[in-house]
Amino acid sequence: MAFVSSGYNPAKPMENRITDIGPRHFSEFLPPVIAKNKGKWLWHEIVEPGLLMHKAEGGDEVYTVRCGGARLMSVGHVRALCAIADKFCGGHLRFTTRNNIEFMVETLEEAKKLKEYLNAQKFDGGSHKFPVGGTGAGITNIVHTQGWVHCHTPATDASGTVKVVLDELFEEFGQMRMPAQVRISMACCLNMCGAVHCSDIAILGYHRKPPIIDHEWLDNLCEIPLAVAACPVGAIRPTKKEIVTEKGETKTVNTVAIKNERCMFCGNCYTMCPSLPLSDQTGDGLVIMAGGKVSNRISNPKFSKVVVAFIPNEPPRWPTLAKTIRQIVEAYASDARKYERVGDWAERIGWERFFEKTGLEFSEHMIDDFRDPAYYTWRQTTNFKF
Amino acid sequence: MAMIEFKGKNFEIDEDGFLLKFEDWGPEWAEYVKESEGISEITEAHQQILDFLQDYYKKNGIAPMVRILSKSTGYKLKQIYELFPSGPGKGACKMAGLPKPTGCV
Ligand code: HEM
Ligand code: SF4
Ligand code: SF4
Repeated sequence: MAFVSSGYNPAKPMENRITDIGPRHFSEFLPPVIAKNKGKWLWHEIVEPGLLMHKAEGGDEVYTVRCGGARLMSVGHVRALCAIADKFCGGHLRFTTRNNIEFMVETLEEAKKLKEYLNAQKFDGGSHKFPVGGTGAGITNIVHTQGWVHCHTPATDASGTVKVVLDELFEEFGQMRMPAQVRISMACCLNMCGAVHCSDIAILGYHRKPPIIDHEWLDNLCEIPLAVAACPVGAIRPTKKEIVTEKGETKTVNTVAIKNERCMFCGNCYTMCPSLPLSDQTGDGLVIMAGGKVSNRISNPKFSKVVVAFIPNEPPRWPTLAKTIRQIVEAYASDARKYERVGDWAERIGWERFFEKTGLEFSEHMIDDFRDPAYYTWRQTTNFKF
Repeated sequence: MAMIEFKGKNFEIDEDGFLLKFEDWGPEWAEYVKESEGISEITEAHQQILDFLQDYYKKNGIAPMVRILSKSTGYKLKQIYELFPSGPGKGACKMAGLPKPTGCV
């Protein structure tokens, strides 16, 4: 397309430059009933899956219809959301912290009509555009990351794996039959952008091979001490090395050496140094973690723990992943007590029972071996079940 | 990766306009970069920051942390931005011929 200037003048880049204005204030976008009753809400109820009602002091009610979103969306899709908001909600809508979409109306009839309308919208392939749900003790949206769509350090894809798992668990999104709400989240490398370290069930991109060292370029592209310091296990050290370049010259360069038997494939060094790539088609895959939570409800917040050491990447449908997540969800749903999060359940019955009930295989990969704190994760008691 | 020519010198650069090899740096490089970094003229203050970055990189193999740059040169972050509108990383380090900043930038 031909260039169309916005009015920005590259010859005078700082002229008319607006900066540090921050985000728009949320109050500009409040639906009238929300603005009016802000800070005066009395109680709420979940009318039915995907539909909440909040009651204000003066008697005002607001009905919220929550629907799923793919998070990665086109402008066309956002316009479709706006069209719905224009038609039903006076042009107002909001996105939740798990990237669901919420439409607010003032009567139950409107809310039910809206829910029905949303549930009827489909993409050409047949997928629901705006499936209603995500409330109460069900399975809500999956917080996820960039994957092969945009990041350079992933060991798997985010949008793909999430679509697979939410297809598998779809009926739970529009129901509330779990002991407590189940938060599933996904990160495509162990940078863990997002919530994998603190979710009921977490899907994590994992490498199994050490980096490949591009000696010819390393000193040119990388700050070597940063690559050395990036390693959590001291597997990298600086060194000089004689190499033959692509053009055939022999020369000695500053570079790094990696002790492969020390490396545990975190990929941190690649984040700092472009000459240490490590992604690999068959090496890379998924780790599943479980039992994390962020709320203080009854038990304190918990980290999620590794429960499956490796599931291969199987694009586009990741069948082993879908099956394994389903297995964990079913075991939890049928065994846990009301209000128990996955971690509360696992800790009450004991992790040995968690593995037994979920049918997951326990291997040495699950035993912590990272520095002094690893010791505290072993069992210093005779209290265990056979 | 592209090769560009400026005032009779050749520079190999990446898609963000960072020099691929520090050893290829010359004063012409700074001249070449300044326009794309919103700098009309390289002043003494600019030069002082460029010199410090290069010395620090040669000595330590890394770019200095922003606080070290400020403390050592006497320029507050605000002044660094006035000199280099793109900031110490994309502006000053690029002009000084240092490798591209990495990490979750
Ligand atoms: C060569 C002789 C012995 C060795 C090497 C030995 C070694 C040990 C070790 C390694 C423990 C476990 C410590 C821990 O849990 O960290 C232990 C515990 C114990 N030992 Fe011995 N022991 C010896 C003799 C004895 C004798 C002769 C008695 C009693 C008459 C005895 C009574 C106990 C008791 C009561 C415990 C504590 C068990 C518990 O913590 O539940 N030991 N011993
Ligand atoms: S989790 Fe890792 S790979 Fe995924 S977006 Fe974050 S940094 Fe990139
Ligand atoms: S991948 Fe991680 S463990 Fe392996 S060398 Fe790089 S930083 Fe160290």
